[in-house]
Amino acid sequence: MKKLLSLVCALMLLTGLVSIAGADEVVDVTVWGTNNGFLPVEKGSPLYEKYVEITGVGVIQPYVEWNGGTTYTEQLNLKIAAGEMPDMFNPNGMETQLIESGAVLDLTPYLETYAPNLYNLIGEEVWSSVKANDPTGEGKIWYIPGVIYGRNAPMIRKDWLDKLGLKMPTTQSELVEVLKAFRDQDPNGNGIADELPSGGRAEARWMGQFFAMFGVAMWEGYPQWDLYNGELTYSAVTPNMKDALKFIAELYQEGLLDPETLLNNKAQWDAKINAGTVGIWEHIPQECYNYAEAINEATGEQPDVALLPVIDADGYEGQGFYTGRKLSGIEYVVANTTDEKKIMAIMQLLNAYGDTSKWMDFFYGVEGMHSQTVDGVTTRLADDKATQQNLVLTPYNTISTADFQIELLSSQLGGDREWAISQAIRNVQELGQYTKLPAGDGIPNSIYGEYADIMNRTLYVEYATKIITGEYSIDKFDEFVEKWYANGGEAVTENARAWYAKKQ
Amino acid sequence: MNKRTAGDRVFGVIVTLILILCAVIALVPLISVLALSFSSKVAVNTNAVTLWPVGFTFDSWAAITGRPDMWRATLVTVITTLVGTTLALAITSLLAYPLSKKEFGLQKMIMVMVVITMIFKAPTVPYFLTLRSIGLYNSVWAMVLPHILTAYNMIVMRTFFLSFPREVEESATIDGCGPFRTLLQIVLPSSKAVIAVIGLFYAVTIWNQYQHPLYFIQDTSLYPLQMKVRQFVNESSELQTIAAKKAVNYTERSLKAVVVVFAILPIMMVYPKLQKYFEKGAMLGSVKG
Repeated sequence: MKKLLSLVCALMLLTGLVSIAGADEVVDVTVWGTNNGFLPVEKGSPLYEKYVEITGVGVIQPYVEWNGGTTYTEQLNLKIAAGEMPDMFNPNGMETQLIESGAVLDLTPYLETYAPNLYNLIGEEVWSSVKANDPTGEGKIWYIPGVIYGRNAPMIRKDWLDKLGLKMPTTQSELVEVLKAFRDQDPNGNGIADELPSGGRAEARWMGQFFAMFGVAMWEGYPQWDLYNGELTYSAVTPNMKDALKFIAELYQEGLLDPETLLNNKAQWDAKINAGTVGIWEHIPQECYNYAEAINEATGEQPDVALLPVIDADGYEGQGFYTGRKLSGIEYVVANTTDEKKIMAIMQLLNAYGDTSKWMDFFYGVEGMHSQTVDGVTTRLADDKATQQNLVLTPYNTISTADFQIELLSSQLGGDREWAISQAIRNVQELGQYTKLPAGDGIPNSIYGEYADIMNRTLYVEYATKIITGEYSIDKFDEFVEKWYANGGEAVTENARAWYAKKQ
Repeated sequence: MNKRTAGDRVFGVIVTLILILCAVIALVPLISVLALSFSSKVAVNTNAVTLWPVGFTFDSWAAITGRPDMWRATLVTVITTLVGTTLALAITSLLAYPLSKKEFGLQKMIMVMVVITMIFKAPTVPYFLTLRSIGLYNSVWAMVLPHILTAYNMIVMRTFFLSFPREVEESATIDGCGPFRTLLQIVLPSSKAVIAVIGLFYAVTIWNQYQHPLYFIQDTSLYPLQMKVRQFVNESSELQTIAAKKAVNYTERSLKAVVVVFAILPIMMVYPKLQKYFEKGAMLGSVKG
């Protein structure tokens, strides 16, 4: 047994020596993140070579089932338990635990010096939020955040407005009028009253148009933290929310919302939009060409999908806004290691990731697999899970700016898609004026502590849906606020305000 | 024979109606998925499909059956299922038979140990580490060996052996059969019902397994069918990066539908053939003669 052990030790020493001897060689970094079913990136594969070319570092990513993040976390847990943590990975909610146990690397001493591109691109403001979120309270940088522009907003079938001779609504009464006209005047011209003036998805999600007009900070259906009466407050328990729910309930009664609004999932709601039956819906304007083209294929009409301006609500004195988001969760943490060579390789990779001049290279991936060049013009090929490797590094999405999205969209213009993509470009350009960053942007989940129900907005969803469908009268809203504060809302609000004070 | 009264007949009609309703409830989702798999892109994109294909096309099927990795995954699944079921039946009957014999002194103790595994499941992390330490990581055997002995199946088989007439075994012993020969030539050939049922249980488990390949298989070329299905059934993300439009007549949803049907088809074809054994199987362990 001892002999065997000493042999193993000797072999390990030898492999250690060999790797030192080959110091000039490319260092490989294993990166784990989202993969919605594309092929893995193995050593020596085309995308691996492409990453070596772009960044000088070898990027390896095994296939790890993502499945909304649940399966991913399970497998990450197993890997960590087995002592095989990936070099750089999306911690997907496990960050606090990992940071507190010392499993991830403190990036503070490295980023500014060794990954200046990324450091400067993300900017001091965001880094100070990241430091304020340090669960150890020492103000260190433990992770690379995702940074995005306020990209969500409601859109309207402008071609319907034109057809019915209506102007773009800007006030609440004009909006109701437009919705009624969409319901009654057959704007899609098929002779059937199949129009759904507006709507959204289950849990009162993706109907930001009606929340925005009352100044409710709402991101994809998740109430956000913002200043109300000068204090950081959960937007779901504000009088603004009460007004919004009251209005939505009225629309629902009038048949101005899809009756299945609170049952729709993504596929079902998208299908209704694609069929050319929906008038106003919230999604991501930068990809509105998807809807425009689908409607065109289904109906033969060429729709004009335009941005809906923020509506002035009756009796609301503040300025409504579409909720923006800057600090958007955590993209990567780095496994704790003393291997300087590995750390330097990761910094080199991050530096390239933050180098906007390389973003188009990341976007185009491997020529022939992800993109093709015809007459000097490169275009991204359609997604194909059978043949394409997963694009591991997507800085154009994870550190996205409106300007770069416009550049990206413009690079794909041309041919028979121009009409649709140019609508997306116009909408992204117009979006900025309506977007506001809520004061609680980047607030960490740790403020919820043991109150998981508040984080999962259980009570809010129950009351919001019942008020919208008319099962509860709007007076029940006050009962909800009371219950919310009594069941942990008080403590959570305290934590949130403490966080905000520290961030200031 | 008693004459059927009016009440009996009404009862029969009601039972039949309820059963028909159950059958419809079970069939509708399947038919709807099938319809989706044969429908055109536009029809699927606009939710136009209910129970009958709209814009009939084979494109989705062609896209899936044209992928070599699907066939490879099918092969992995078929082989692991065949090998696994065979091994499982051998191991299970070899344990169940002695445990059905009173002469076997350790019988009670072993039964207690078996039942313990039914109640206390191993936690995931130690289970993962154990299987990995015996070399099952990234090996097809990770999809076979963990399934070859299930306590529940073993107990069902043992109960069946308990009801096997002792006289037959005794006469075999008198004719000079040892215990192995008795099992192989006398007991097993007259236990086809239980073997078919238990075999089917094992086969379905191995065919449908998802957790083991998920945890233990890293090499995508060793993926079984269910992992491939998962790859397709993923909900598409909200944010999509701009890419060329697909010049094809299928969508992610119609592909999902094809993959789902593709993965259950073989089991659906085998099931009716084994149905006749189920009637006997259902009686297992009910009355001991």
